[in-house]
Amino acid sequence: MNAMNEANPVGSEIFSLINAIDAVSPDSPLEELAELFASPEYANLLSLPVVENGRPVGVISRYRFMDIYLKRYARELYGKRPIRNFINDKPLLVELDQPLSEAAQHVAANMKFPLTEDFIVTRRGRYLGVGFVMDLLKVMEQKMRANTDELEKAYTQLKSSQMALVQSEKMASLGQMVAGVAHEINTPLGYVQNNVAIGQELFLQIQSMMAEYEALVDKLLNDQASEEQVAVQMQLVAEMRNDVNTQEMLGEMHGLMSDSLYGIDQISELVLNLKNFSRMDAAANDSMNVNDCIESALNIGRNVLKNKVEVVKELGVLPKISCAPSQLNQVFLNLFTNAAQAMEAQGMLTIRSWYAEGSVYISVEDNGKGIPQENLTRIFDPFFTTKPVGEGTGLGLAITHQIIHQHGGEIRVESQVGEGTRFSIKLPATSSETVQPILKAVAA
Amino acid sequence: MSKPTLLLIDDEERILRSLRMLFFVGYNVRMTIDPYEAIRILREERVHVIVSDQRMPVMQGSELLRIARETSPATMRILLTGYSDLDASIASVNEGEVFRYLMKPWNGDEVKKVVAEAASIAEASFAVRTHSDMAVELTGAKPRVLIMDHDESTAITVHETLGDRCDIIWASDAQHAMEELAKQDISVVVSDLMLGATNVGYILKTIKQLNPQTQCIVVTSFSDTSRLIELINQAQITRFLPKPVSKGILARNLESMLERFHIVRAQPVLQKRQAVAPISDPQEQVQAGNFLGMLGRLRARINA
Ligand SMILES: Nc1ncnc2c1ncn2[C@@H]1O[C@H](COP(=O)(O)OP(=O)(O)OP(=O)(O)O)[C@@H](O)[C@H]1O
Ligand SMILES: [Mg+2]
Repeated sequence: MNAMNEANPVGSEIFSLINAIDAVSPDSPLEELAELFASPEYANLLSLPVVENGRPVGVISRYRFMDIYLKRYARELYGKRPIRNFINDKPLLVELDQPLSEAAQHVAANMKFPLTEDFIVTRRGRYLGVGFVMDLLKVMEQKMRANTDELEKAYTQLKSSQMALVQSEKMASLGQMVAGVAHEINTPLGYVQNNVAIGQELFLQIQSMMAEYEALVDKLLNDQASEEQVAVQMQLVAEMRNDVNTQEMLGEMHGLMSDSLYGIDQISELVLNLKNFSRMDAAANDSMNVNDCIESALNIGRNVLKNKVEVVKELGVLPKISCAPSQLNQVFLNLFTNAAQAMEAQGMLTIRSWYAEGSVYISVEDNGKGIPQENLTRIFDPFFTTKPVGEGTGLGLAITHQIIHQHGGEIRVESQVGEGTRFSIKLPATSSETVQPILKAVAA
Repeated sequence: MSKPTLLLIDDEERILRSLRMLFFVGYNVRMTIDPYEAIRILREERVHVIVSDQRMPVMQGSELLRIARETSPATMRILLTGYSDLDASIASVNEGEVFRYLMKPWNGDEVKKVVAEAASIAEASFAVRTHSDMAVELTGAKPRVLIMDHDESTAITVHETLGDRCDIIWASDAQHAMEELAKQDISVVVSDLMLGATNVGYILKTIKQLNPQTQCIVVTSFSDTSRLIELINQAQITRFLPKPVSKGILARNLESMLERFHIVRAQPVLQKRQAVAPISDPQEQVQAGNFLGMLGRLRARINA
């Protein structure tokens, strides 16, 4: 029989429509069809191809078969007769290398209603397989919508490449963060280093002063020392004592040391934050209080928020939930950054969290410029951004959405242009679901 | 002579307290965490050097320095920042026209040296009339503009803007640029940072050593903050325009740089205000050395 299993030999558009169906011989008895039509293999077929010597001679439809076979005594009367006597010997034929549109036209012009037969695909007249009219029409329709489809395809591709981009976004925002944190560290580092350098200089001066004092005491205690020698040494010490600058600088030194200790504390705190934040523990499934993630993101985003945003926190008592903390940090940092960027001048960022009925809720609300209605449905799309080229990747919210989704949660947005925007997140608190390690997925 | 006045601005008081210690001797130090207070001081007192932080709550340092430029043009402007971001450094050139862009944490000796140099330059500047009330003399040799950029649009804009008043040379490579520099001094340079595959940073840094009157505009799509900071300190570029740059903006900057050239030519004391720091990159030091050597030989031959 004619099973069709060679690869597409001519780059034909029809090729994909072929179903490799074993055809029946015109000499088979009609009763055989009863079994075939009932078998799962032929379940989708409207009609069976009838082929002799490799060439299609006709089709017999399920409809026609039923029509005959369900008649009284039909089995007895016709069961042993060859199929040849019952077939439609003018089947719908399509050549493999025929253009799709031509084939479609041919089929559309010759098919009968109700649709009872499939079409037969041949190659140079020889049987290849069966095609479904519906498929053909669908392909045609798709072809006509080619443009829209291209877009849709591009979109699907983008969606899958989003995974890979998660990592680069992570790197990018890490880069920004590092730049920000570098500034935060360089400021205390600046004065601590300078203070220590100045302290060292002063210490050397004090050392030499001490030496002169000692020399004076030595001379005073020494009977051998002349009056004149003592006087010279006294003069030297007096001069040093009267060096106003040194005196004043010494007076400042105490304050500078306290400043330095304060600066060192600040640096350690920043380093700790950075360490906590950037722990690439995507795989680790920690048990974590979401409030801590919020605090951590606020700390790390301090640089973006500082001087511009007044942060109001109304954080409720929350149970620990199972999550990937660094991913949630990322979520909050994205939301806070967006909020800050939406503010033209000073603004207010209100962060609330609460627990209710097995879920943790977080809302992040700003009084920035808001999001126009027509953009509301698009902001979670990868690459959607209203920011100038080079400033926004448009990935922030796409990734946010993805992370929340992977935590089994939901994120929603409400916004009013000119008034502000609120993002609401719901996370299951009793989630037994494991959080997908995003970075692993990329590597795979 | 009275001590020069140094004005320090930073939103972190600890920075101010610490910095002040470097200038205990020899300076009258004023400091504030409030940029508006700084502006008031600039208006009311003779300030020789202003050292400002970049990131501050109410005003960016580059903005404060821009205001300082208008309020007290003779004051030397220095930025001291822990945050090297491109926008800030571009603004510090184009708006703040800073003498030096210094980084936190700083080196005490270096900061002292830079401030001392700035203070003595300011002293000299206060002694002459400030540029705003000075009539610019348009006499002297016809200015020469050197373009080091393969981008035709740059050359076209330069021609259209200055073609009637200046000799314009469009250098195709470093060799060509050098030959032109050997012939005669250049008034304004308009340059990309890359000329084909050649990084021309060292040429820009050398040009200023050759002729302190030269005004330098960098037009480039290349953006690297640390390199820009080097160019501020070591080439004293006066404008940094990211590509693509609109015709109007380039034209406007060309005009103001030509005017600046005339002013500086007329008032040699102002040349010092654009004194450059020594080249820091060892490779560029060698390149610049070779460049100057070849230039010297070329000049000798031309003059012979
Ligand atoms: N709080 C907000 N207020 C107003 N608009 C917002 C807010 N959050 C997001 N948007 C809008 O949604 C768009 C997409 O945000 P998203 O975080 O995905 O990307 P982005 O912020 O533009 O780029 P990136 O995150 O890489 O900086 C933004 O460009 C902005 O127009
Ligand atoms: Mg964003």
